[in-house]
Amino acid sequence: MENKDDWHLTSRLNAEHGKGDPFAAAVRATRMPMIITDPGQPDNPIIFANDAFLQMSGYTREEINGRNCRFLQGPDTDCSDVARIRDAIKNRTDIGVDLLNYRKDGSTFWNALYISPVSNEAGELQYFFASQLDVTDRKKYELRIIEEKNTFEKAVSDRTADLLETNHQLKSALAIKDALLHEVDHRVKNNMQIISSLIAMQLRTIDDQNIKSSLRATLGRVEAMSTVHRRFYQSGDVTHFDIAAFVHDLASDLVTATGRLDVRLETDLEPVQVPAEKAAPLALMVNELTTNAIKHGLSSDSGGILLVTTRRQDDRCYVTVADNGPGMIEGGSKPPTYGKSLVERLGKQLQAELQWLDAKPGLRVEISVPIGQRLRGQ
Amino acid sequence: MQHHPLKVLIVEDEAVLAMDLEFLLEEAGHEVVGWATCLKEADELINKSEADFALVDIHLTDGTTGVTVADRILRAKDDAAVVFMTANPKLIPHDFVGAIGVISKPYTAKGLLAALRFLQQGIVAPPPKLQLPTGLTLAPAYSNRWAL
Repeated sequence: MENKDDWHLTSRLNAEHGKGDPFAAAVRATRMPMIITDPGQPDNPIIFANDAFLQMSGYTREEINGRNCRFLQGPDTDCSDVARIRDAIKNRTDIGVDLLNYRKDGSTFWNALYISPVSNEAGELQYFFASQLDVTDRKKYELRIIEEKNTFEKAVSDRTADLLETNHQLKSALAIKDALLHEVDHRVKNNMQIISSLIAMQLRTIDDQNIKSSLRATLGRVEAMSTVHRRFYQSGDVTHFDIAAFVHDLASDLVTATGRLDVRLETDLEPVQVPAEKAAPLALMVNELTTNAIKHGLSSDSGGILLVTTRRQDDRCYVTVADNGPGMIEGGSKPPTYGKSLVERLGKQLQAELQWLDAKPGLRVEISVPIGQRLRGQ
Repeated sequence: MQHHPLKVLIVEDEAVLAMDLEFLLEEAGHEVVGWATCLKEADELINKSEADFALVDIHLTDGTTGVTVADRILRAKDDAAVVFMTANPKLIPHDFVGAIGVISKPYTAKGLLAALRFLQQGIVAPPPKLQLPTGLTLAPAYSNRWAL
């Protein structure tokens, strides 16, 4: 059986290589720091440390022999790791742990520590054998990876929070914008209605048929504008306006209002989305032409047909208003009326092509309006 | 054609609109029995007037109380008829609280007259024989009842 003091002997002898126990010589000469402790003595002291250990820790052999290894620990050593080592020693089991240790000069290093119990053939605990490795570089790299990962995760989390906040602000701004738009829309509609009512009431106070007729035409124009505004907000799209739906409503209202059964409305209406800025002028033109067709073209006792069509072709909107009345022959010699100049001026505003055709019988007016986006800059 | 004048209650906070509406209704042969600008005034009129038809704006001087006014009119009298007149039809509940429909502002004088002729037929001798005018939107219940 080996004597425990052999280790002291080996240590003290500082033996030359190959002398004595070859395993002991190898342990002493290896570049891996190693120590052996004796659990049989109080506080499990170091009984052997090789040169590599002394070099790593900065202590001399005299300073550490007979001391428990906890002198390697310091303020920043992880307590839970120390507790794991303590439990392993107590339970006589193997343990491997990366521990922050302190050199004699106070500087720190990361120690990849492995401790194993060494028992004799009878299974009795003799020693603890501990190997160490300075893994500061690897540990620093690991810590930097963790740090970078944390930094990255924080950046992602900060950015996410920023985006959520921005999103929230945008939503509030949108809600405010919607509320304002809604309020303005409500006021515009209300005011359009009041303007119509003021004209309508004035109309009731007048006996002169010519003035009455003028005011009625004015009321019709204001109402055409009101209807454009109402349709915009009913459709939910404030950038486009379906001229066909407007034409349909306008023509049916005007024909219904005549109260005559001998005036018939014929339509051929293909939906045409007109840009918002062109809606009101085009609606005014159609109102003028339709009103005129009913008032002049279909005024005779025999009644007649009002035809309105809408069509889209190659970025142009085509609108036709026709009646089968007396046509423009009779009216041809008169100077242009206010209504006709209005239509022509509005047509110019829209860069429209206007044709006043003798439909034999009746008047047929054809409007062609460019509605493509490319014409905006012209 | 037989004429059955309606006794009309106007609930409208804009004086100009109420005034014009009153002229227009009377020209069409109806009788305006009252004008209210808020819920409180409407309540008083509901109790004492003989109105069988009410035109009700949603926005009144005391807020968006038109729906409440319509509801009270319809609860107070079994055969009462209500039509909303508003620039904000989105504020009307889906069931219209039992009202016939809505005339969206801004309406045209002609559109309003057409709507009144249609409503008169619907109230006096349902279902109406005239075509549904473009300015009037019916409540789902009345669309079904009048098979439109």
